Amino acid sequence: MGNSLTGDLPPGFLQRSKDWLRRELFASRVDGLLSLVLIGLILAALFGLLRWALLQANWAVIQLNSTLLCIGRYPIEHQWRLWLLTFLLAATAGASWGLLRSCRRADRPGLLWPRNDRIAAAVLLAVCLITPPALGLSLAVAGRWLAIAGLLLAMRWLLGRLGRRLGADAIKWFALVWPVTYLLGMVLIGGGFGLTPVASAEWGGLMLTLLQASFAILLCFPLGVMLALGRRSNYPLLRWGSVIYIEFIRGAPLITLLFLGQNILGFLLPGGLAPERVWRAAWVLTIFAAAYLAEAVRSGLAAIPNGQMEAARSLGLSTAQGLQHVVLPQALRVALPVMVGQFISLLQDTTLLSLIGLMELLGTARTVMANPDFLGHYGEVYLTLALLFWCCCAALGLGSRALERRLDPHHLPNL
Amino acid sequence: MIAAIAEEATQSLILEAKDVHKWYPNGFHALRGANLQVQRGEVVVIMGPSGSGKSTFIRTFNALEDYQKGTIQFDGLPLGNDLRHIEAIRREVGMVYQQFNLFPHLTVLQNLTLAPVLVRGRSRVQAQQRALELLARVGIAEQAGKFPGQLSGGQQQRVAIARSLCMDPRLMLFDEPTSALDPEMVREVLDVMQGLAADGMTMVVVTHEVRFARQVADRVVLMADGEVVEIAPPETFFTNPSHERTRRFLDQIL
Repeated sequence: MGNSLTGDLPPGFLQRSKDWLRRELFASRVDGLLSLVLIGLILAALFGLLRWALLQANWAVIQLNSTLLCIGRYPIEHQWRLWLLTFLLAATAGASWGLLRSCRRADRPGLLWPRNDRIAAAVLLAVCLITPPALGLSLAVAGRWLAIAGLLLAMRWLLGRLGRRLGADAIKWFALVWPVTYLLGMVLIGGGFGLTPVASAEWGGLMLTLLQASFAILLCFPLGVMLALGRRSNYPLLRWGSVIYIEFIRGAPLITLLFLGQNILGFLLPGGLAPERVWRAAWVLTIFAAAYLAEAVRSGLAAIPNGQMEAARSLGLSTAQGLQHVVLPQALRVALPVMVGQFISLLQDTTLLSLIGLMELLGTARTVMANPDFLGHYGEVYLTLALLFWCCCAALGLGSRALERRLDPHHLPNL
Repeated sequence: MIAAIAEEATQSLILEAKDVHKWYPNGFHALRGANLQVQRGEVVVIMGPSGSGKSTFIRTFNALEDYQKGTIQFDGLPLGNDLRHIEAIRREVGMVYQQFNLFPHLTVLQNLTLAPVLVRGRSRVQAQQRALELLARVGIAEQAGKFPGQLSGGQQQRVAIARSLCMDPRLMLFDEPTSALDPEMVREVLDVMQGLAADGMTMVVVTHEVRFARQVADRVVLMADGEVVEIAPPETFFTNPSHERTRRFLDQIL
């Protein structure tokens, strides 16, 4: 061992990092000066932020309002429904996670999901251990969050074991659990089927933000794909309709459309049929996002050579079958990074809903800041909002990158 | 007696293109009254300079290109604008492209089973069995689990041939099947095609491979300027063509 260190092995780690530093940061006098100045600036900013966060900031504003920020003014006697929903989501997510990491690919050796997901599990556990005391939550609530994390990890472990025996078909069928969970969640939040209805005006906070974003993301996807196909269709009415829709929506700012939706949907639909304000906003978001998604999908479709559809057609497939089995799977894979980018900006665009008076995350935060007890604590609230949004967007981004890797059949030729 | 022979001839006629004209949307007159008759079990090789309309002509046979004048009949079925006829004919006519056009997101086996399952309604197991047989026939059974991008050009083209054969076509069209291949891979593809011809498959092949035309073709066709100039058995075509245009073409390629 000792001999080989000086022998055929490259120079030691310390030497290599020194080389790297010299090569990358201090290659010349100008580079060195620039590096020193930038490192100094970064350290100063970091120091300032830490000093503010630890010494000057008063985090009580977040501690006392954590429930409000999470669910808004949702009636306290019905909160158990949201807890139940969270448990349900954790179980579903854990089960999917477990299945994905256990199943082998049907088509070639290798696993469906990267196996090194232990870090993600550790981060999840750490967040669940650190956040409740930091927020000053009661022991009962902290316990519930721990139980939720535990359930998620337990399902991941259990289905990871089971999945190896179930095979790849299990994943396909399990995916159907998600829409069922979503519908169940809507019933739990909104009531009905024997549960006391909770008016959508009482929904709020992070819950409303996620609800709006997920509703718009789920519905804008099929709508966007149809618009993209319509824009490339040979049938003129379909093509013109799609072009007019896409160009009109993309030409108007979202905030204008939101106000328009609030005012006009009431006139357009006969009394009683107009959806409540929350749903009107959700539909406007969907319609808005679909136009942008259509362009993303169109770029994906343009990347697929005509020969693919020709080959499908000459094998006897109908146009619809060719799209479904040959063209769209490839086009959507190409468009995936752009589409996820749209989803991320859609999630952030939900903050505009606060301007039309909905109590989503930003709207709720503004009521908190308007409370005389917490005047002047804007920094704490906005930093928390930024962190929450960053977490959601980072999760979307990481998920999309993992999906991209998984869908990449080694490399795509002929593209 | 003569009438009987004539009737037998029409019965064994599988493809008949009469006076086919095609104008591209930009006004270019690509086909100017092209004629061709293909008998069952026959191998017809179409040659000609580039831009002569060979590819366009062969692509009208399964309606990848439309045409504005003339008639094309496949096994008695007119190939016009009727989508039902078009789809029925496409099910029976296989096509192999210069660029392979394999589905890159599917494995070789999935490439082969997609159409039989969707179009012919075969069970997955049945389709896979047949696919593996055909992969063995084109000599790449061991690549069934790979993706097209992991194969060489010659292997990809053989997969493409097997994919068409999976539909049990009555006629196979080849549109310059070896033009995109590295020279050392041309042979393996031509061997597979020669084997097909020997098994009695009806084939129309657009190609520049003179040796293949000489050895395998029953008749060789010369196309120039959107017209069929000469149709002759290979020995006549290459040694004693009757048209000046054919002679000029042969001077350039031989």
